Amino acid sequence: MKRRDFLKTSAISSTAALLPAFLQAYTPQRLYRSRAEKILVVVQLSGGNDGLNTIVPYQNDLYYQNRPSLGIAKDEVLKVSDELGFHPAMEGLQSLYDEGLMSIVNSVGYPNPDRSHFRSMDIWHTASGSDEYLSTGWLGRYLDRHCTDCDQPHAALEVDDALSLALKGEKRNGFAMSSPAHLKRMADNRYLKLVADHPHEHEENVAYLYKTLIDTQSSADYLAAQAKVHQSRVNYPTTEFGKDLKQIAELITADTDTHIYYVSLSGFDTHAAQKRQQQRLLQQYSEGMKAFMEDLRQNNLLNDTLVLTFSEFGRRVKQNASGGTDHGTANNLFLMGGNLRQKGFFNAGPDLSRLDAGDLQYQIDFRQVYATVLNDWLNVDAAKVLNGRFTGLPLL
Amino acid sequence: MQQIKHLHWRAGFGLSPENWQERQHWSIPQAVDHLFAEADQDQAIKVAIADATEQLPQIFELMKMDKEDRRKDARKMLIVNNSDWIQMMAKGQGSSLKHRMMLFWHGHFACRITQPKLALQQLTVLEQHGLGYFRDLVLGIAKDPAMIRYLNNQQNRKRTPNENFARELMELFTIGRGHYTETDVKEAARAFTGWSSNREGEYVFVKFQHDFGTKNFLGKTGNLDGTDIIDRLLEQKETALFLTRKIYRYFVNEHLDEEKVAFLADQFYQSDYHIGKLMRTIFSSDWFYEPRNMGTQIKSPIVLLAGVLRSLPTEFANPTALRLVQKSLGQVLFNPPNVAGWPGGKNWIDNSTLLLRLNLPVFLLQAADADLSAKADLDTVQKQRRLRTLEAQIDLTVLEKWLGPEQPVQAARKLSEYLLVRPAKIPDLLESELARNGNTRRTLPMMLVGLMSLPEYQLC
Repeated sequence: MKRRDFLKTSAISSTAALLPAFLQAYTPQRLYRSRAEKILVVVQLSGGNDGLNTIVPYQNDLYYQNRPSLGIAKDEVLKVSDELGFHPAMEGLQSLYDEGLMSIVNSVGYPNPDRSHFRSMDIWHTASGSDEYLSTGWLGRYLDRHCTDCDQPHAALEVDDALSLALKGEKRNGFAMSSPAHLKRMADNRYLKLVADHPHEHEENVAYLYKTLIDTQSSADYLAAQAKVHQSRVNYPTTEFGKDLKQIAELITADTDTHIYYVSLSGFDTHAAQKRQQQRLLQQYSEGMKAFMEDLRQNNLLNDTLVLTFSEFGRRVKQNASGGTDHGTANNLFLMGGNLRQKGFFNAGPDLSRLDAGDLQYQIDFRQVYATVLNDWLNVDAAKVLNGRFTGLPLL
Repeated sequence: MQQIKHLHWRAGFGLSPENWQERQHWSIPQAVDHLFAEADQDQAIKVAIADATEQLPQIFELMKMDKEDRRKDARKMLIVNNSDWIQMMAKGQGSSLKHRMMLFWHGHFACRITQPKLALQQLTVLEQHGLGYFRDLVLGIAKDPAMIRYLNNQQNRKRTPNENFARELMELFTIGRGHYTETDVKEAARAFTGWSSNREGEYVFVKFQHDFGTKNFLGKTGNLDGTDIIDRLLEQKETALFLTRKIYRYFVNEHLDEEKVAFLADQFYQSDYHIGKLMRTIFSSDWFYEPRNMGTQIKSPIVLLAGVLRSLPTEFANPTALRLVQKSLGQVLFNPPNVAGWPGGKNWIDNSTLLLRLNLPVFLLQAADADLSAKADLDTVQKQRRLRTLEAQIDLTVLEKWLGPEQPVQAARKLSEYLLVRPAKIPDLLESELARNGNTRRTLPMMLVGLMSLPEYQLC
């Protein structure tokens, strides 16, 4: 049974009863509306996650030589192939891997890598080369030009107080909220409530501000109502990240008019005392993702959803003197969902014998991954969004 | 009156309530003269930068700290410098025109700075030359340690040239894309080899790293060094055009009027790139005051904040509050997104930044629960704290003294005239509440919130 049909037959009657009267008028129409696009969830690990201690090359002597105290002991690694295994804090991820819900792409990066967080994050967000500066993000440009079902301001939603560059377009932007309640509180400021009806001029920027405000208020109402449609039955970790993922799963299940979600987990800049910090974060990530995927499964949404996890760079191969690692280059990247073509490892782990001044060399340009997601998942011509041609990968 | 407001918002951060009462009827030439005279005489900014520099820990103290402590200390000091600069803009300490030019050049020579000493040093360059000759300014930036480090000129050596600075000098700082070749970039990079900075954060010319060979740059051949490259760039009329376009976009209108730009660029070129003269011409021109140019620009977060604080003198309990708001609004001083600077215009606005902008008056004046959090900084493992309220002391005495004697409705009209460059109708909710409540002093905060929450307040 198609998901929409399911909603038609069962969910409508119960959800409508929960909605305030003024929303009922238009909500069923939204629920019935055909959604050609699938759902994309982007998870950003901010600060530069150490990929080598996330997917561990536990058979590689060079790995242990470079990381005498920081290397993860062979017997602790959660082994999933003859060469590679997960960080011990990521049992959840291991089970997703075992179930064929995960693809791992190794050695992802870009030419002339920049070791500044800000610049490198910029490059990942805008999908630019390391020598160009763009003020729009790859998902923003997708919204601008190629998304056919994106007339709603919340078509792409970031669970955060502020919007990332990745979601900023020329004409359209994604939408940011840390929670529907917080958004609603800001939008319901009594002075702003009345502003919508306030007479104003048609000057370009005046009109733009009013339109953005009115759209935001209507999205705030809509999202607050949508957030009440479905309550997840899965146990999420009580971390901020877990809450964000739960929020996303509930909105997806409620068939919200949003098909791109964006969420971040931060604190990965582990220059010192990395062991505990990364352990804590990877556990949060793994437990969160495990719950999220379980939630999607229970609601029959695994095949409609793709999760892409990235970090702005990996870290240097050699550990530093403070029990941490410094900024590096290429890194691994994860895809999750029920529709993966190449489950498990997409390519071999990084070659630690061929480093570039102590850094991993990239094999796959991250824009090839974006191109794949755009072409094969969001069904648009990636070349137009990415300002250049990047060969897609047989991932989806 | 609208013209006086327009001038002071574009050449500064609006007028304080005192100055508004005093200057609203000034003629434009009188106001322009005053702005430039203030800038000429100004010593306050220079002094403030020197004072702030003196308060920084000495190098021997820094040597005693470990790396992490040094980083924390630098971060803390930089937040103080950041908030001090905004407060100076707001309080009119030092010439507003000068501050506004510094802010413009800070976006033009966009540079992410993490060391307070380097930040203050760069501000000194912007302060000294922001209204002077562009040649001095760009040369100062080429020798500025913060920029040298940001654009990797430290690594630009005879044997292993690094083109980063040379490329941005042309692409973003002077002539713009399409007017030079890749060979020009390579040759310019050679000319800037050895322009470096030492551990103390001072500019040094490292002779043995410099390439003294013959270079060929934009049709000129010889043993060129960095200064020659800059001079050669300034000889190109295209550079005057490129800079004038950017200045026009920032100070006049984001939609260019190429005819006016060409006229201004010509004058700029003839004046040997004298920035002050160019600005004076712009502010004195009739077309600057055409309706399409007035109140049609979206304030940048810094202009918005400095302007709010200028109308409502505010002391924050914690300087980090001001940084958090900047971050949430999308513009943190010393922290541009990349070397191309802040894109500006509609780019400032998305649903979250607009809601925050429009809620700011409520957070400030009614101590409403703000519950703000900014995106986590990428370069720290510390968790970002949420800010429940903007703990701030606002001083309304000047406004009370000015508007107190008026009837509330009349006071609201005067206030609206003062606050909004783009005229707007006083909101019905506010009018009806004012009609019900006869006390101007008591309703002043409500008036301010009602007017400053209007989208029109976001424009200047």
